Amino acid sequence: MRRWFPVVLGVAFVLLALYPLQATGYGIRVMLQLFMWIALAQSWNLISGLTGYVSFGHVAFFGMGAYTAGILIARADWPWLVACLAGGVAAMLFALLIGFPCLRLKGPYFAISMLGLNEVLRVVVSYWESLTGGGNGLSLPTLHASVPIYYAMGATAALVTALTFVIVTSRFGLRLMTIREDEVAAEAMGIDTFRYKLYAFLLSAVGPGIVGGLTARDQGYIEPISVFPLVTTITMIVMALFGGKGTIWGPVLGAVLLFTFQEIVWARYIYLHQLLFGAIIVAVVLLMPRGILGVLQQKYRLPRTI
Amino acid sequence: MAPILEVDGVTKRFGGVAAVNGVTLSLEPGRIHGLIGPNGSGKTTLFNCITGVEQRDEGVIRFRGHRIDDWKPHRIFHLGLGRTFQIIRVFPELTALENLLVVTTTEYDAARERATELLRLVKLERLAGEFAGNLSYGQQKLVEFARVLMTDPELILLDEPAAGVNRTLLAELLDAVQQLRNAGKTILLVEHDMKVVMGLCEMVFVLDHGEKLAEGPPGLIQADERVIEAYFGR
Repeated sequence: MRRWFPVVLGVAFVLLALYPLQATGYGIRVMLQLFMWIALAQSWNLISGLTGYVSFGHVAFFGMGAYTAGILIARADWPWLVACLAGGVAAMLFALLIGFPCLRLKGPYFAISMLGLNEVLRVVVSYWESLTGGGNGLSLPTLHASVPIYYAMGATAALVTALTFVIVTSRFGLRLMTIREDEVAAEAMGIDTFRYKLYAFLLSAVGPGIVGGLTARDQGYIEPISVFPLVTTITMIVMALFGGKGTIWGPVLGAVLLFTFQEIVWARYIYLHQLLFGAIIVAVVLLMPRGILGVLQQKYRLPRTI
Repeated sequence: MAPILEVDGVTKRFGGVAAVNGVTLSLEPGRIHGLIGPNGSGKTTLFNCITGVEQRDEGVIRFRGHRIDDWKPHRIFHLGLGRTFQIIRVFPELTALENLLVVTTTEYDAARERATELLRLVKLERLAGEFAGNLSYGQQKLVEFARVLMTDPELILLDEPAAGVNRTLLAELLDAVQQLRNAGKTILLVEHDMKVVMGLCEMVFVLDHGEKLAEGPPGLIQADERVIEAYFGR
């Protein structure tokens, strides 16, 4: 397993890099969305999977990035790639601002505060019409750039995953896990838990900020209800849980499997789709709380790197 | 010699109950001190106040000349005050080795060497790669003990180190504590096993209902009427 894993990874990487050469516009769109989900689920994993601080408002960073990039492109004429990176920076600054009060809360209180925060942000964006266009939304100038956006989105997903790899295999990552395992003991063993949580939180906000911007650019139009929906947070959580939270490849696996499942079922049984998705959530939580990769790791005693 | 730890009039209340009430004690460097008292007498609460896990309501705590009563636990730890917990608090989904590695901030290879050495000391080197949560109770206790030694603390607080540990293991543990003392470390331990306390400690403090009832060498404490009364009733 340890030997063939990098090979499979390399092949997948090359195939995905070559994919746009022969793909249809629809195909690129689908892959773009898959990359987006990987980046989102993986980012959520950085804070919630590693430190155990479950964020129920992570879509706030996505929306923050979407609006930052959208405004910079539409109003200030920034190049889209720079604007999207600025979206990542804005999301991180926002995380810094809210991290101070929110990360002092524990367990369900942190989860709820993040949920409420997302709603606040959505309302602010809705009413700040002069800047955001309010409920009418914000239109971006037309641009046909699906392929460059495909690569940018893919790179973001890959970088967030690489970042997770670096973190999980370092002492920094182990210290994040001690917060999940036993925060009181972590403090008593000299770990400045608040600082560590804050770092993880900042890192977990960048990816969603960038992909929010890229999504805004790709779709050409954003409105508060399309970039701040609760269901986006829930979907990233379910993907990370399904694949295996706190692992490196779990969120990727969860995103690929659930997204594929969603695409197939969505196309055939439009009404059944939500029901089946709900059933998966219940099944995972009851039968496989560690997720697919968590179960495999435990059963075959695999290292954290797989 | 100047005391390494001074607890001066420390009080901690939970609602209307004073779990620790105006306790004053000081620890001499390089000695093993015992803290005893019936259940609910405030031993663990006092530990928590000293290590910053709980904030004391009144009083002053000084460690190595610094006033630490407002400090966060991680800062107190890095000043050289380590502890173990009454109820084991290892990190279950980290391996035994990782449990030790996370503690130090030294360079990785040096930390790894030190961790391996300490696991050898507690005879767990063969289980270094095992998740701490899969180890037996006694082994987890040893992981916790080894973990606190990672940064070579000057003062070590041990909360019931003997509880739930079998005799062979206990002998080794006590031997390790004695070695630490010989290396110049100061130790304060909470213990219910009187044999352990009387055999190991050079100075004993007795708590009852959150107040200090007596202090002195073990021989005197054992003969103290008030202590016997607190433990067994009149």
